[in-house]
Amino acid sequence: MNARAWRLPWILLAAFFLQFLPLADWLAIARPLWVPLALVGWALTSREPRGLFPAWISGLFLDAAYGSVLGQHALALTLLVFLAIQMRGMLSVLAGWQAALSLLPAWLAYTFVLFWVDGSIQHQADPWQRWMPAYLTSLIWPLLWPLLRGLMRRDFQE
Amino acid sequence: MLCMLALGLMVMDRRDDGLGWLRESLSFTLRPLFWVTALPSRTAQAVTRLQTRESLLQENAALKQKHLLLESLLRKFDALQAENLRIRELLSSSTKLEERVLIAEVLSAAQDPYRHQILLDKGARDGVYRGQALVDAHGVLGQVIEVHAGSSRALLITDPNHGIPVEINRTGLQTIALGRGDGQRLSLPYLPSNADVKAGDLLVSSPLGGRFPAGYPVGEIVETRPSHGDNFMEAIAAPAAHINQGRQALLVWSESYPVPEPPSAPPATTPLPQPEPPE
Repeated sequence: MNARAWRLPWILLAAFFLQFLPLADWLAIARPLWVPLALVGWALTSREPRGLFPAWISGLFLDAAYGSVLGQHALALTLLVFLAIQMRGMLSVLAGWQAALSLLPAWLAYTFVLFWVDGSIQHQADPWQRWMPAYLTSLIWPLLWPLLRGLMRRDFQE
Repeated sequence: MLCMLALGLMVMDRRDDGLGWLRESLSFTLRPLFWVTALPSRTAQAVTRLQTRESLLQENAALKQKHLLLESLLRKFDALQAENLRIRELLSSSTKLEERVLIAEVLSAAQDPYRHQILLDKGARDGVYRGQALVDAHGVLGQVIEVHAGSSRALLITDPNHGIPVEINRTGLQTIALGRGDGQRLSLPYLPSNADVKAGDLLVSSPLGGRFPAGYPVGEIVETRPSHGDNFMEAIAAPAAHINQGRQALLVWSESYPVPEPPSAPPATTPLPQPEPPE
């Protein structure tokens, strides 16, 4: 594989690292959704409609890591990346904060799928801890997007 | 199609349709990553442990004193234990006084505040079984919910899905302590409003249900308040175990579970000879 093909695994590895980094409980609530961020970044910069399969596989890894029902994160991430691919054209003409605002429904949809599956298997938890990361991910997007785009676009110019 | 596949997986996983191998291989692949993510906090811990010779000498002297004190207490405890065993024999009781335990290393603590789980480095190979109780030096930590060959996952008592039968030490009242999901507190929601429970009461594990060994501290009541009108009362307790702080935990074999093949590492304690229950 060439360097370009290796780019996504490396970025995903970094995202998984940040996602699993042990943090104090009060800080962990404020942890952005790193893996979804990386996958959406990839879906928005890649020119082919791919990214769905890596999203599905990453979801399975998240399920195994969190001990959630297998397929929960896989389903949510696949839907999220599908949404991101649909929004690609619109997002490319928007400024940073506008894009962040437009992506908020996508993060909320991702969180809703997790919330819904949890509800249907009677896993109860504090809703605050579930929805908080979706808003923070939206907040951090304008800062992260230039970095993600820089990392991924470099390949297309090579 | 991927969504359908994910939905299919969820249904199969809920039905326990032999997806253990998939979960296990995914967890196994993630283990190096967990090890790397634990590095920063381990390094921080190691740095705080770096001490001068002076402080080490002081600590050593203090520990020696404490050791001596504990040793004398232990002698007394030995005598009491022997006496207790004799009395139990007289009563023909089959209650075990010491459980078999195994020390497990915590591979990763909860990365998600939403789920209170830890990953341990002992698995089916060491005789760990699903539902096994987990304690630390201060009290009950939780129970094993998933067993792989070389690792296992435990649910902590603070998880909202966790319930543990408890006994109020002062009065012997039996009830259930549920996790509240905030990582700090337990809730005892099913108390009659006239129950004799007050702040400061010690909760110990109850052998009801046969899952947890009896008599380990679970927590301490910090607050009681009326709930669902005037007929019920809810008590809030602080867990005794140091949740998410230690790097080691003890797996305890319950009395009702047959002790498996001897594990690779010798157990820390061996069960006492059991008086035969009456025919």
